[in-house]
Amino acid sequence: MAARKPPATTGTENIFLPREAGILRVESLTATEKLFTLRMKDGAPMVYDPGQIVELSLFGYGEIPIGFASSPTRRETFDVVVRSVGRVSKAINRCEKGDSLWVRGPLGRGFDLPKLRGRNVLIVAAGIGLCPTRSLIQYILERREEFKKFTLFFGARTPKHQLFLADLAQWRGSDAVAYHETVDQPDGSWQGNVGVITTLFSKVAIEPDSRVVICGPPVMYRFVIRELDKIGIPHHRVFVDLERRMKCGLGKCGHCQINDRYVCTDGPVFPYHEIEDLEEVFA
Amino acid sequence: MAAYFLRESDLAAWVDRLIRGRPVWGPVAKKTQFVFAELHSAKELRLDYDVSLVPPKKVIFPTTQELVAFSPRGAESSIRPRPQILFGVHFYDIKALDQLDLLFAEKHADQNYLANRAATTIVGSSIQRVFKRAFWGSIAPEVKPRGHDAFLTKIRGGYLFETRTRKGEALVRSGKFVKATPARVEEAQQVNARMMARCPEKFPAPAAQVAHQVRFAFIKEELWKELAHDCFSCGTCNILCPTCYCFDVQDRWNLDQVSGVRCRSWDGCQLEDFARVSLGEGASENFREERFERYRHRILRKLTYLNEKLGGPACVGCGRCSAGCVPDIADPVRIVSRILEV
Repeated sequence: MAARKPPATTGTENIFLPREAGILRVESLTATEKLFTLRMKDGAPMVYDPGQIVELSLFGYGEIPIGFASSPTRRETFDVVVRSVGRVSKAINRCEKGDSLWVRGPLGRGFDLPKLRGRNVLIVAAGIGLCPTRSLIQYILERREEFKKFTLFFGARTPKHQLFLADLAQWRGSDAVAYHETVDQPDGSWQGNVGVITTLFSKVAIEPDSRVVICGPPVMYRFVIRELDKIGIPHHRVFVDLERRMKCGLGKCGHCQINDRYVCTDGPVFPYHEIEDLEEVFA
Repeated sequence: MAAYFLRESDLAAWVDRLIRGRPVWGPVAKKTQFVFAELHSAKELRLDYDVSLVPPKKVIFPTTQELVAFSPRGAESSIRPRPQILFGVHFYDIKALDQLDLLFAEKHADQNYLANRAATTIVGSSIQRVFKRAFWGSIAPEVKPRGHDAFLTKIRGGYLFETRTRKGEALVRSGKFVKATPARVEEAQQVNARMMARCPEKFPAPAAQVAHQVRFAFIKEELWKELAHDCFSCGTCNILCPTCYCFDVQDRWNLDQVSGVRCRSWDGCQLEDFARVSLGEGASENFREERFERYRHRILRKLTYLNEKLGGPACVGCGRCSAGCVPDIADPVRIVSRILEV
């Protein structure tokens, strides 16, 4: 075993120094989620792949890792969705139009777009997992001719937990995407499918040559992959977008490690075959 | 670069001159134990220390380090390295610093560490007393220390001082050094070589073989539960480890309530919340929820995961985790011996 030569160690760039972003728009999506449209104050475009993350912060409170929720083709502005869960996210969600947030990124590995182009694509998103995949959904819909059949499964706990209601309404009536939705618990007005997201697989035919993207709560992945196995979709065509405590986003702080991988730099999007043998992938 | 001899009686004057020039950190006594502290006088220096309580990495990677300062005017980098000397570092701790050098430099080069590192002159020193839980003589002895600027070896009548870099060579000007004779160079080599055989504990097998077998043992849950049974999840093994570098990042307000700093502080993978993610509405997912999972992660990270990158294990055999662990279940020698047994 030979040690790798250390890279150059000169320079003064501080990888923890964030850049200022102005809030152009705030929209409440649900009782706990807000969408922010941001523009970098230095005027530099944000160049990223769907699936990559930023470390978003409010000084005095801290940083949180967040996926992009809009298509990278927009360039001048980008969207992020923040769910109020802890001290930092609650403080960010009190911010208003005209305030500033602080951004480091883009960071990590996003979706491998060349591997999806020219293919049938299925996106399986649940809960807040729709936010990072929305970046890819918008991208595909904008460049629809570059992709073959596009199917989207979206699951939410209840109808009230559904995000991006305007988007959902548009997708329901669209020919560009075969959109299928479900909720775990319906309310009185719900007319659609009831059940966990895997119940959609028995109702919709998925081509075995599809490329599949999965993003949702940790418990979901195993069950979705089981359905994909039944269809015969090989694991190198399955892309999982994983959540971990990506504290630094730079592959240093150790919190997001899955065995020997760093989710923040090796992922958060992984072709499933790369990590399926790692014992700590799913909870 | 070159080898010099310094008489025992000239050591204090040399160190005192170095202290007058810039901060010098060295081993000092704290009751019956030793710590690395900023020296005020050569009299405090204890080159006969066995091991320091906390590893000397703290001089370059402080327990809490300011990364960014913020105010209504914006954000500013806090990288402001100060030239300093880290004096009297045993070879195993130099090996650990070599690893941190590589890990902080790879992928996104972290100047918060690297600038401090570049501003630090490291003087190694020979081991004069062996720590009761040390096993540095038998874990990856083929991996040699390489990040120091000079090395001081206690020999008859004084010290052999070998310089390795220009930074190390510059220290010679402050002391009454004479060129070392080949006999003294030879004597120092023998002193250091003999010391390698004097560790009370012995790592049970070659590190490459252990890496393979420990990785293979991952799935033996009952074994890990047995090994981790008495773990308090206190994180002492992490904090005392010279190769651990996990950290948390937190913001702090200044008293004015409008400005503040973003800091990182040492963190530990044995702590219960280390891998916990909040999911909202009171729910959370802890990706290493069980004690045995966290305990296993530490051992694999020390002995397996990083080996290819580092050219050897991320354990240098200092014995600090073994001695610091209250229920005494953190000793890599005993853990690996048990894994090899089953």
